[in-house]
Amino acid sequence: MKWRKWNNILHRDLGYLAFGLTVVYAISGLAVNHMHDWNPNYKVVRTPVMLGPVADDAAQVTLGQASELAKKIDPEATVKSIYPLNPETLQLFLSDGRSVTIEVREGRGEVEKVSRRVGLQEMNFLHLNTPRKLWTYMADLYAVVLLLLAFTGIFVIKGKKGIKGRGAWLVSIGVMIPILFLWAYF
Amino acid sequence: MKANWLTLLMVAVVFYGCNQNNEVAEIAGKEYGKPLELKETVKVSALLATPDAYLGKKVQVEGKILDVCKMRGCWIEIAGDEPYQKIKVKVDDGVIVFPMDAKGKTARAEGELYKVELTVEEARKHMQHRAEEYGEKFDPATVTEPMVFYQIKGSGAVVMN
Repeated sequence: MKWRKWNNILHRDLGYLAFGLTVVYAISGLAVNHMHDWNPNYKVVRTPVMLGPVADDAAQVTLGQASELAKKIDPEATVKSIYPLNPETLQLFLSDGRSVTIEVREGRGEVEKVSRRVGLQEMNFLHLNTPRKLWTYMADLYAVVLLLLAFTGIFVIKGKKGIKGRGAWLVSIGVMIPILFLWAYF
Repeated sequence: MKANWLTLLMVAVVFYGCNQNNEVAEIAGKEYGKPLELKETVKVSALLATPDAYLGKKVQVEGKILDVCKMRGCWIEIAGDEPYQKIKVKVDDGVIVFPMDAKGKTARAEGELYKVELTVEEARKHMQHRAEEYGEKFDPATVTEPMVFYQIKGSGAVVMN
């Protein structure tokens, strides 16, 4: 039948076109789905340090003293700025982007280093529609393409393995999955 | 005639370019959300000293970024001009996304000041959520009183280096 031929051509070519975006959305989907367990955009490494008592009040610490403290952590480190969060806690911002939180009375500290998850951050940027603007329409178009892929996909094969046979069972299971979860959680 | 149009177009482009440069020179940095509208900033210390005077009003604050929301970049904490002070600028999830590496940089942010009043139970949930964000342990029994604090509902910000 001629319509099936066109259906299959459409399914095939849209599949090729959608490949890149599907990979982006799938990988980012996995990443942001577990946002509560990990940070999908940044890798945050915290290292505890022991510096010894610094001062009674964080507001008393000068930039010079803070620089000396930073040198204890890393001889190469330079302090960009400091800020007393409360009388016990001082925050140091290093020039290389690291930050250090110090409990000044006990001298216990923690160095935080934040680095970008290169590649994944860009994918999440697109997946979560952060750019908005024209990307919104591109993402809409992709959603329409996915719909077309879904509908053309069920008519690719005819016969016992098509939508009148095995396909019907598999499509039914696929439709039941969201319904089942909605019934359980909604 | 064609040459006149071209001249006009070039003048317009140069004028636009100059105008853009002036704005960038004023506050150079990465912009987030809507462009800043207010011409003057208010000190965080002034804001926190008499918050009710600013409640519901659009304010602009400037200061060092002490922290950024680790989950979705949906808030920044801006340091005050005096020790131990900070104010949170909360933005709608996904509308503005602050990068985590903005920590330590200076930001100028704008938005409406609002009051958050939490019952003891709500305060426990709030602190529990905060502890989860920081990966810290939290004992709900430590929260025994209702909480009141002020935040800015951020509409736009510029993060400077």
